[in-house]
Amino acid sequence: MHIPDGFLDPISCAITYLIMVVYGVYAYLKTKGQWTTENISQITVLASAIFATQMLNWPIPGGTSLHFVGGALAGILMNPYFGFFIMFLVLFVQCIIFHDGGITTLGANVLNMAIIDVLVGYALYKLMSKLGKENKNYKLIGAFLGGWMGITLAGIAAGTEIGISPNFAYTLSVTVPVMAIWHFILGIIEGIITAAVLAYLLSKAPHMVKG
Amino acid sequence: MKIKRYWILIGILLIISPIFGIILADMVGYHEPLDIAAEKLGLQDLTEQMNWTPFLDYTVPGIPDEIGYIIAGLIGIFVIFLIGYILQYLAGKKK
Repeated sequence: MHIPDGFLDPISCAITYLIMVVYGVYAYLKTKGQWTTENISQITVLASAIFATQMLNWPIPGGTSLHFVGGALAGILMNPYFGFFIMFLVLFVQCIIFHDGGITTLGANVLNMAIIDVLVGYALYKLMSKLGKENKNYKLIGAFLGGWMGITLAGIAAGTEIGISPNFAYTLSVTVPVMAIWHFILGIIEGIITAAVLAYLLSKAPHMVKG
Repeated sequence: MKIKRYWILIGILLIISPIFGIILADMVGYHEPLDIAAEKLGLQDLTEQMNWTPFLDYTVPGIPDEIGYIIAGLIGIFVIFLIGYILQYLAGKKK
């Protein structure tokens, strides 16, 4: 899911960096006054747990794998704006310390995993919570769908970004299906993990579920 | 969640991480869907040419990959907490 250096043309890199900065400012304004030591502590704990979980790839015999992303979970456990900062922290450290995800493509990776994944996951979770009138089972279904669809749409976004290139105008028909199909299949595991973590926290530490 | 349980969880994740990140990767020889899509387009990964870090791909120079992967995980978590503490310090100072 992490787009490395070299996969995007300079224009795509610049546009996605701009989106990252503008959304980051917007997210900061939406959370202004809420940067308490308690919230920062939760951001740090969640970011470190997501970072550790992302180191586990799920291999599928035949040559494909995926790792947990955690964007939907971050949004559900806090809110989509703090969720952005949780995922940004993870992606920034992965990029700077381990060069996992390119520096020129950091904006695209943030767009996919810290904005799209978080917003889609959070929106589906809230929709199901509302439909079920805050019933726990509906929340868990929302978390499952949020995790699943969040990573699927983030994958499609990544496929679109690498497919949109001035040099390869026809390639969207190649990249988007590959990314969509594999993320749709493997994303079920993301949904299960998201719902399982939420179920655990709702029963053991409900104060940590703020989204 | 109790902080002790959190650290146990992190410890377990890091200890088993080489199984999923190194050992199974070598056995199955897998690629992420992104790599498959990029391969079809002939896109060139410039990570190694542009590299600046000694911890590229969660390795630690001079240490076997499996152990290096765990140490890299610890380094990443340390840096995340360091940034968190700086933010907490700034938030406390502002208050």
